[in-house]
Amino acid sequence: MKKIKTTLALLLTVFTCIVLPSCGILPVSEAPKVSRPPVSASEGGYTIDTVPEYKNDAFVEINNNVPYFESSEYMTEAYEYYSDLDELGRCGFCVACVCRETMPTEKRGNISQVKPTGWQSIKYDFVDGKSLYNRCHLIGFQLTAENANEKNLITGTRYLNVEGMLPFENMVADYVKETSNHVMYRVTPVFNGNELVARGVEMEAYSVEDNGEGVCFNIYAYNIQPNVVINYADGTSREQKGGSTSEASQDSSDVKKYVINTKNKKVHLPDCGSVASIKSENKKTVTSSLSELIAQGYSPCGSCLSKQ
Amino acid sequence: MILAICIDDKNGISFNKRRQSRDSLLIKDLMETAGERKVFIGSYSLSLFSGYEDRITVDNSFIDSAGDEDICFVEVTDPSSFIDRINGIILYRWNRHYPSDKKLTLDMSAFKLDSTEEFRGSSHELITREVYVR
Repeated sequence: MKKIKTTLALLLTVFTCIVLPSCGILPVSEAPKVSRPPVSASEGGYTIDTVPEYKNDAFVEINNNVPYFESSEYMTEAYEYYSDLDELGRCGFCVACVCRETMPTEKRGNISQVKPTGWQSIKYDFVDGKSLYNRCHLIGFQLTAENANEKNLITGTRYLNVEGMLPFENMVADYVKETSNHVMYRVTPVFNGNELVARGVEMEAYSVEDNGEGVCFNIYAYNIQPNVVINYADGTSREQKGGSTSEASQDSSDVKKYVINTKNKKVHLPDCGSVASIKSENKKTVTSSLSELIAQGYSPCGSCLSKQ
Repeated sequence: MILAICIDDKNGISFNKRRQSRDSLLIKDLMETAGERKVFIGSYSLSLFSGYEDRITVDNSFIDSAGDEDICFVEVTDPSSFIDRINGIILYRWNRHYPSDKKLTLDMSAFKLDSTEEFRGSSHELITREVYVR
């Protein structure tokens, strides 16, 4: 019996590893044709520590505005790659060879079902459009027509989206539309440690056919919102008013049932597998917003709430 | 000279020594607006004027060589340094926001808005042409 089980397991392994991928049945993570940019000083790149502190400008130049692409990575055909989410559910770098073929042919679809890591529905009256956060495309919709691709959406402030990223997307989109040339384009969210909200994004672009004469930049755009203090660990925030602060208004849509462990101060979704193991005297079901619970000293469960 | 220049919503002219944007219908509009007048451009702008080669003068020193009524299409340069030579301005607004590290700092108080025209570009929904005179 044991031999039969072993044989079946072996056959299953072969079928899973060789047969199904070759048939295109299983989703297989494709290796990117373009590497991620260097993200440490030892690799010759920048680090989160070397990015200058925000000072009124939505972005700063990196590496004298020269992208980190290798010349062997330049392409003249449509290409897109979106990194798999990491163990915390966070996006990684995305890269594309942007051309007319990758651009949208219809209007943008609904993306509200995607909840990027650190997502909070918070509004401030002084923020353009009121919502502090946007589901921020790493590679803008106008460039590669990606809608609700969770590998391409991060929790980004309105300021990052509109003042930091959009101007560069506009520049690339116009260039491609007018020349029909190709632009290598890579966007990398920059997280600090295990934080769920990116501190910023690196954006690189290089026009291929004219060797960067049309488009060439490498910048870091800050994921900040003027007059708002953001907790990048979980996306919670508060208004900055001189020395004093006031809490943001919370969307009612963010208020829902959670199970809290009053002993270890963890918050879980009701259907989390860990809930069953909480002793009844420590377990409590509450209706609240996650940010309120965090403000009370609770921390989100790393399993069920890693994407919240 | 008559200065012709493009700016974005933030008065930006260029970023990283490169133009912010381009639009073939803007060039067509410029050539139509120029009429019989000479149009001077720098070599950097030559690729934008495909099909108009016989009507333009490529001269990187055009600031010195252009006549009073000649049109000078300026990119990636802030024209403030030669404001005394400018007799009028054809200002194109992209009506979009691009990155910029060079902005138009020209003192516009020396000029008076003479006309405004809006049109659709080939890749821009709305381009505004403003003509200023001394």
